[in-house]
Amino acid sequence: MSKKNLAMRVSIAIFAIYLLIALFAPLLTPYDPFIIAGGIYEEPSPEHLLGTNDLAQDIFSQLIYGTRATLLLGFTGAILSVSIGTAIGIVSGYYGGRVDEFITRTLDIVMTIPTFPLLLVMMMFFTPGIYVTGILMGLLGSARGVRVIRSQVLSIAQMNFITGVKVMGASDLYVMAKHVLPNLLSLVTVQFVFSAQHFMVMGIGLGFLGLGDSNVIDWGQMIDRAYQNGGVINGLWWWLIPPGMAVTFLSLSLALFGYSMEDEINPRMKLTRI
Amino acid sequence: MEARYLFKRLCYCGLAFIASITIIFLLLHFMPGDYVTFYLLEISRTTPVEVIEHYQHVYGLDQPFLEHYVNYVVAVIQGDWGYSFEYRVPVFPLIGQKLWWTLMIMVPSLILSTIIGAVAGAWSGWKRGTKGDMALLSSMLFFRAIPSYWLAIMGLLVFSCLLGWFPLGGYMSINALFSGYDIFDIIHHAALPILTTTLLSLTGTYYLMRNSMLMTLGEDYITTARAKGLKESVILRKHAARNALLPMVTMIAMQCAHLMAGSIFIETIFSWPGMGMLTFNALNMRDVPLLQGIFLMGALILIAANFAADMVYPLLDPRVEESMHE
Repeated sequence: MSKKNLAMRVSIAIFAIYLLIALFAPLLTPYDPFIIAGGIYEEPSPEHLLGTNDLAQDIFSQLIYGTRATLLLGFTGAILSVSIGTAIGIVSGYYGGRVDEFITRTLDIVMTIPTFPLLLVMMMFFTPGIYVTGILMGLLGSARGVRVIRSQVLSIAQMNFITGVKVMGASDLYVMAKHVLPNLLSLVTVQFVFSAQHFMVMGIGLGFLGLGDSNVIDWGQMIDRAYQNGGVINGLWWWLIPPGMAVTFLSLSLALFGYSMEDEINPRMKLTRI
Repeated sequence: MEARYLFKRLCYCGLAFIASITIIFLLLHFMPGDYVTFYLLEISRTTPVEVIEHYQHVYGLDQPFLEHYVNYVVAVIQGDWGYSFEYRVPVFPLIGQKLWWTLMIMVPSLILSTIIGAVAGAWSGWKRGTKGDMALLSSMLFFRAIPSYWLAIMGLLVFSCLLGWFPLGGYMSINALFSGYDIFDIIHHAALPILTTTLLSLTGTYYLMRNSMLMTLGEDYITTARAKGLKESVILRKHAARNALLPMVTMIAMQCAHLMAGSIFIETIFSWPGMGMLTFNALNMRDVPLLQGIFLMGALILIAANFAADMVYPLLDPRVEESMHE
């Protein structure tokens, strides 16, 4: 148990660092990430910790500012997808019967729609601003969590206290909001963390594919720029590696948090061998 | 009953495909701009409105909603998926031709990752809580959190640039111009993309197999097997692992969606000429018809994978077949 707590603490600490960096980005950066800060393709030096890119912008400052876009993308997507997924899951599991049947069947069909290619098509039509991207990712990803929530609600809805509250005349909406939802909180948190991780990685991937918001600096666009400018072949590690490491560590910290929390709440994991 | 089950699943597949077509149609119909406008603007920035209207009429884009929809669905089912702006060829044969290259990466990766993931997951679940299990679990979760594009770039950097074991990209050497196809050369080029893709799907398969193994080990029949005095190795192979394998069938179908998204990054980074790189090019050229075709092809692949899983499952698990007859 103490080991689990350690994992959780480490992950929270790493995440807190990212959050602080995002909040205080202007104080931490030596240059405005958009301005011409020196020559082009400069190697790392005391003035430019990670050198400069093809537009003579300071890479270190860009890296710091990129944290903001990444967190924003992840959380916009996660808030939306988890809210929608949880709401549908609760309704489906709570009412059961025809409603449940309809939702489950629809879900069966929706799950065969390849969401990532669909997202790409949609990005062609909408000008990909950072919020629009987050919202689109959230909407398309909301089907993912419905099943887990639903099956949990199914078992909660059978419990005695729910029947009790209903007998006392509470409305369905009241029961769902005040009694079902609180019992789902830890599960919803796990889903939220994993969704945020998923959408951050995906958002940066979109930047890499050239679909990023050009008014915002994000790590995906940085990797893309470095890659297009021969970062691999010429070994421009100070340009290519830091944004990739940044997203990898962020993703790792969220995953670690998610798994240690899942371990806490999942009775299946506590099964011991006979 | 078998026939009824088959029919029901086929209906689902049809519905799922119609749903995909409908979504893409709604996007194309209601979003500002259409093929023809895009295309004409591509040719000349100052296309007169009359010309656009004329072309819209010729291509049937000014039809009323319902008529347009029905025509669109019929066209898609007949294999008329539009015309690519960039490649100047019909979309369907273009995608079909690239699909083989993608499958060349995806199929070996799926097979490899399923075998390795299932074996490692079964072992890990069996040895639950030991140091070996913990080490394997942690490293798998570690790799699972690494974004696919980053894995690919690092692979390229380490194995191609630093160590020089694999080529930097592409699908055959420049020598092929003189000496013709060489199957080993293609395999050499495919090796790194295949390995990366394998690692990408391996972790998911492993995690599910381990969980499934833990569930199975809690079942009564395992206790019974122990009480009968069976050897541990027999319990592992004949009772635990075999039952734990069942959810993997659905998992493999789900992995296809994951791998399709991953292939866009992996093929782009390794310059592998499959559907993924086609997607990347279509994005850069803003080739909407091609992207729409790629989406439809993706939907078809997913539907086929799910259908295959639905068909295989009852064969493996007699209990499911029982419930089908009820």
